[in-house]
Amino acid sequence: MTRSAAIAAALLLACSARADELRLVSPNEIDYRELEIESENSAATDGGRDYSLDLGAGVTRWWHLGAELEWEREAGPGNPTQLDGVQLESLIRLTEPGEGWLDAGFYSEYTRSDLHSRETPDDLLVGAAFLKDIGRTTHTLDLFLDRSFSPDEDVAGIRFSYAWQSRWNLWRQFAPAIEAFGQAGRIDRPGGFEEGQLIVGPVATGTVLLGPIGKLRYEAGYLFGATEASPAGTVRWKLEMEIPL
Amino acid sequence: MRFIVLFLLSLSSIAVLAGDEPLRLVLHDHKFTPGQLDVPAHVKFRLLVKNDSDSLIEWESDELDREEVISPGEERTIYLGPLDPGSYPFYDDRHSASKGVLIAK
Repeated sequence: MTRSAAIAAALLLACSARADELRLVSPNEIDYRELEIESENSAATDGGRDYSLDLGAGVTRWWHLGAELEWEREAGPGNPTQLDGVQLESLIRLTEPGEGWLDAGFYSEYTRSDLHSRETPDDLLVGAAFLKDIGRTTHTLDLFLDRSFSPDEDVAGIRFSYAWQSRWNLWRQFAPAIEAFGQAGRIDRPGGFEEGQLIVGPVATGTVLLGPIGKLRYEAGYLFGATEASPAGTVRWKLEMEIPL
Repeated sequence: MRFIVLFLLSLSSIAVLAGDEPLRLVLHDHKFTPGQLDVPAHVKFRLLVKNDSDSLIEWESDELDREEVISPGEERTIYLGPLDPGSYPFYDDRHSASKGVLIAK
């Protein structure tokens, strides 16, 4: 299958994504000949919680497919944690790592949200992921468009979000980074940008080798709210197990 | 206009590669040869890694943010740099005792 055909297939598959999930996508993270099991979570000071469990693998050297379960607790007191959706995600690497000036990839997610008889809409998210290595540092920038399919005009619409991380590849076990996650709000109606959120902060990342079992990657950080609409603080943590196939 | 074209061409030539020949690494019997490889600092270069063993390997360097799965008998090109002078360890992720280091000078 050619890359353009795979991109077209991914676009057809897509139908959603959660705007509130903190997602950072590296265009080079394909996990070819590996099984990836990933748990990505965040907890904000406003009571909001997001948890996810992801299973994925590189289908080819340039195409990664994954499926994910998501749980969410909405901000505010007393809200329950509920299964929020099932997601199919695809990442297509568009460049050979390091060959050109910038590495790039195409990312898409389709989230099916009505599995728990909740009235949350399905979403489609598509985006571009860029990566630049400079010496021992790695810089990642993601730009996403998120289309929410809801009959409710206030919920439906197209939203723009972005993520950025700059990491110093100091040691295998510990590589510090700074990252930011932003939601610019709706771009399909006037005043949508007033809903914008931005959280920024430090994060620790690293890899622990586990011999023939594979390796464990971790990320943990604390992100500060940088706009009025953002939660004052958000703890983010991620564990990813990569098992050789 | 001619100056701009020449400037862009010079940038692209810098961005492509330093030198025509790739630097070579071979893994045989769970051992990289050479175990220590001098590489040019401040320029891009190609590293050709050959898996001369009978099992799959995964060449990986956390400091260089690169990993490459290589089948038995296969060669893969890894694009690296520009690097600051220093040492950059690498290993076979499937057999982590197999390791080596690139020395950027």
